[in-house]
Amino acid sequence: MSNQKTERLINLTLALLASKRYLTKIEIFNTVAGYQGSLETMERMFERDKDELRGLGIDIEVKGIDPLFEDEQGYLIQEDSFQIKPDAFSKEEVLYLTMAANLWHGSALHNQAKSALLKIQSLNGPTETDDVNLPVIKSTFDSDQLTVIFEAMRSHNILEFTYKGELRRVKPYGLYTRDGFWYLVGEENDLLKNFKLIRITKSLVIASKSGAFAKPESFDLNKFIQDSQSSERYQAILMVKKNQALDLRKKFPVKDIDDEWDQMSCSYSYEEEFIQSVLWHGSNVVILSPENLQKKLIAKCRQLING
Amino acid sequence: MADTAAIRALRTMDLIPFILENPGISTHELALRFSVTQKQIEDDLSLVFLCGLPGYTPYELIDLTFEDGVVSVIDPQVLDRPRKFSNSELVVIKLGLQVLREINVDQPIKLAKIDKLFAKIFSDFDQIPFVSKNVMSSSPYYADISKAIYQRRRLKIQYQSISKDAVTERVIVPQGITVLNGNLYLHSFDLSAREERTFRLDLINKCELSEKVLEEFSLQNSKEVLVELWVDQEMLNFIERNSSIVEEQSKVDNGFKVILKVSNLEWISRAVLSHAPYIKVISPTSLSNEVNERIKRLLENYAFFAPN
Repeated sequence: MSNQKTERLINLTLALLASKRYLTKIEIFNTVAGYQGSLETMERMFERDKDELRGLGIDIEVKGIDPLFEDEQGYLIQEDSFQIKPDAFSKEEVLYLTMAANLWHGSALHNQAKSALLKIQSLNGPTETDDVNLPVIKSTFDSDQLTVIFEAMRSHNILEFTYKGELRRVKPYGLYTRDGFWYLVGEENDLLKNFKLIRITKSLVIASKSGAFAKPESFDLNKFIQDSQSSERYQAILMVKKNQALDLRKKFPVKDIDDEWDQMSCSYSYEEEFIQSVLWHGSNVVILSPENLQKKLIAKCRQLING
Repeated sequence: MADTAAIRALRTMDLIPFILENPGISTHELALRFSVTQKQIEDDLSLVFLCGLPGYTPYELIDLTFEDGVVSVIDPQVLDRPRKFSNSELVVIKLGLQVLREINVDQPIKLAKIDKLFAKIFSDFDQIPFVSKNVMSSSPYYADISKAIYQRRRLKIQYQSISKDAVTERVIVPQGITVLNGNLYLHSFDLSAREERTFRLDLINKCELSEKVLEEFSLQNSKEVLVELWVDQEMLNFIERNSSIVEEQSKVDNGFKVILKVSNLEWISRAVLSHAPYIKVISPTSLSNEVNERIKRLLENYAFFAPN
């Protein structure tokens, strides 16, 4: 690792950040410490430095600075894109941010939380919180995957990984969590698909150069998630033993039938899920209608008991 | 593997605003915070002396004092504020704030402050293709429960057990709260059972703070049984949801063979039945007999209600 290169990267960042106007390459070579050698050497150095800093998330803006000479470009790092604004958060807000990051202590996302915490503590110094009372988020998720996926989404790289026993090449469009699990939404063979990250069995790698695809402008992650869920609701009538199936009783109305049974009207979206919740209660809950649902449940039970 | 020059440059730039807000911090402490060696921090700081703004006169260089293992920043130049949060940092903050929101659901003032902060920090978050669809179940008793943990007090709770399908009264000594698969769980010592028990917070119907706990409890796991199951590949969800009790897992034809460490036989009986026929008990035989008995009783009911 070269001290010289590290120094040059810091000096370049500071110069682009401190400048009030776009700096040309020549200005950079003449003023920023560390650029030496022939013009061609310095050009190569600068291109590499710029790519590396951008690769780490630093937004170096480039802009034509002379309308008469289109190839004359200038470079700048906008303060707002690099640093958190002064007084962005009140002391109390810093406290909440600290608590939010501390929830991940010891979890798979501990590293991301720790780096966030360092930035929070750079805003307002040490912060006292009553963290002792906070819950701890347990996550079995591999946090390195998250970093790779974000990088691929940002730079439009294709991702490669093994999923359900097959090698997949996916254009990553978005990421979401549901019930504590993480899902990647991406395009594979012209189809938009969901991939549950816990099921990615072999290492996930970036398998293309940056800019390998363009995400369609019409892609809307929220809409995709919504569309992939059924909005249809179906009705069912159940017989429920008195004082049993308390969780179902919390959700659905019942009517008294006799000393032993109540009748319950339910609505559901997913047949499999609904049968599971009925079977959970064993002989205390019986499906009266619809008949096809009842038959399916009976067939499942017979299949299990007959091996 | 050694850090690249760019990663080292970023860390060095992150050190400046951190030291500025924590003057007099030791290099040992910095090493702990930044997860590198003390030598690495010292090397990074030595580099800072040579960095600054074009001109590079003493007035334009970053200036810090670095003596006897403690550091303070005199002039940070433009590095007086931390870098913006990265996308993955924003994700952990967003999810963390959602948890804070749920545990403060009964405190409107705090809730309003969290919501305001949430809106402020994520006003431009739409640019990042990330959505959280976690629907966390909240509890009105979070404050009492956390007080009981902090003050080591007993709690009298009324709990709706999903596995027993019954409401029971218990006296517990709460130990800690975790968030798993979108639910809040309370780990406790159950004084009636004299065993460790875990309760879902949203299923606690009533909660009352009681006296201080004077005696010490050695937390023992409740009696655990190894249960071997065949799980159809379509029911992989079941294994993923219960990954914390999976002892062994292997791929077999059309599915998986798993060994679970189970402390609640009522729960596993119900779980196997509810996933019929996609989960089968391999051992112990007593469990498969129990599941079969439940199916027989259930089929008798259908013979009565739907004889055809």
